[in-house]
Amino acid sequence: MKSYVLYPGCVMPTEQYAYEMSIREVLPLLEIKLVDLKDFSCCGEPIKSVNQMLSLALSARNIALAEKEGLDIFAPCPMCHLALSESKRILDSDPAMNEKINKFLADEGLTYMGKSVIVNTLDLLHDIVGVENIKKLAKKPLNELKVATHYGCHLIRPSEIGRPDDSENPQKMEKILEAIGAKPLDYPEKLDCCGGLLTANLPESALTKTGQKLQKVQEQGFDAFIDTCPWCHRQYDSKQTKAGETVAAKLEVPVFYLTQLLGLSFGISSDKLGLDLNLSPVDKLNLGGK
Amino acid sequence: MGIVDLTSMGESQVKLRNEINERLSRLQDEISDYCYQCAKCTSGCEAHKLLELEPHKIVALLKRGLIDEMINSDVIWTCMSCFKCRERCPQKVAPVEILFALKNMAVASGKQIPGNYTAMLQSVLSIGLIQDVKSITTRDNKTKSRSDLDLPEISKPTDSTKFQMILSKLAVEKV
Repeated sequence: MKSYVLYPGCVMPTEQYAYEMSIREVLPLLEIKLVDLKDFSCCGEPIKSVNQMLSLALSARNIALAEKEGLDIFAPCPMCHLALSESKRILDSDPAMNEKINKFLADEGLTYMGKSVIVNTLDLLHDIVGVENIKKLAKKPLNELKVATHYGCHLIRPSEIGRPDDSENPQKMEKILEAIGAKPLDYPEKLDCCGGLLTANLPESALTKTGQKLQKVQEQGFDAFIDTCPWCHRQYDSKQTKAGETVAAKLEVPVFYLTQLLGLSFGISSDKLGLDLNLSPVDKLNLGGK
Repeated sequence: MGIVDLTSMGESQVKLRNEINERLSRLQDEISDYCYQCAKCTSGCEAHKLLELEPHKIVALLKRGLIDEMINSDVIWTCMSCFKCRERCPQKVAPVEILFALKNMAVASGKQIPGNYTAMLQSVLSIGLIQDVKSITTRDNKTKSRSDLDLPEISKPTDSTKFQMILSKLAVEKV
């Protein structure tokens, strides 16, 4: 059993509960122990536009908290994963910045050391747990469910910072989904952005981006849309009806977190995976069997 | 009026331009400024079709040193930070990072911060997170909180006074 500190970030633990629930259900079955810590804060990525120094320092602070426990970090949110990875990369390569930030952290008795590895849901499942081990647990295969994947921009770019999958042709989510019996298919809009980051200042445009992509997914006849980012999921699932209005379409695309679908195939009950929290029409697939 | 109209009479602000270039090289050593205006960034830009952001023009304006003009324009706030421009640039230029620098400069110079950014920032300063815990509604209209769902208490800074103190010291620092 390998242990990771669960770094929850902001969006997942304040509203995207289904992601957190399904992570806490699924990962222990795959021999991953999650350790909860107090004192975490925002990773800084959402306010990078306002003050990048704050982002760097907030991420370094969160890493330092986990390093105090001597553990690696699991950041399920791609935005957090990018912020932490970027901060790590800068602090590890720039001694002046490292010293500057550590001076601030010292006020809380913290030190950034650069020892902890930072993983996301995707590399944790694909590279560390491994597709074979996921396959072994899949009791209820998903009967060739035709699924479209959405990785989320922050998960695959910028590749210089080291991301969990390829920037132009990510396939790890597909491999995981095939292991549980689903049938993932590529589609032209696969790499399109959800627009979620514009919610802060241009919410209408954010929804239009969401609607445009989801409309194409619906037109191509996919059974379900799978994501791993709480920001993207908020756009595609929680705000699906509104997103549809921006493109004058009635959208009815079942949207799941990857970990929810894994949980269902492992035979975990839909209640425990927070399936009733998905606002998109996930019922029509009859996967949960309430 | 488009951003190009605004700049037709502009004077080059060399000092500001150097500040941005220095900042970029400090943050990411692989980023260059050898842009040859191929516009590959703009062709893939997620904000281009919808909001008329043209990353290659941002790079050109930076080269000309027309920083104030960009800082005063709403266009810099249309970037969705999808990082495609940085990923695909054949010359390792990173318009997305230039835009982060410009937005940071706009805020530091006292320009109004658009939309909800102020609220998010205030929330981070006061509770450490961009928003507080919410009760949410299920598909069949039931309200649920974290504890209803058997989730543990949320992780946030326990000594908020100390946390605020550190953040306010940091907020005035430049990258």
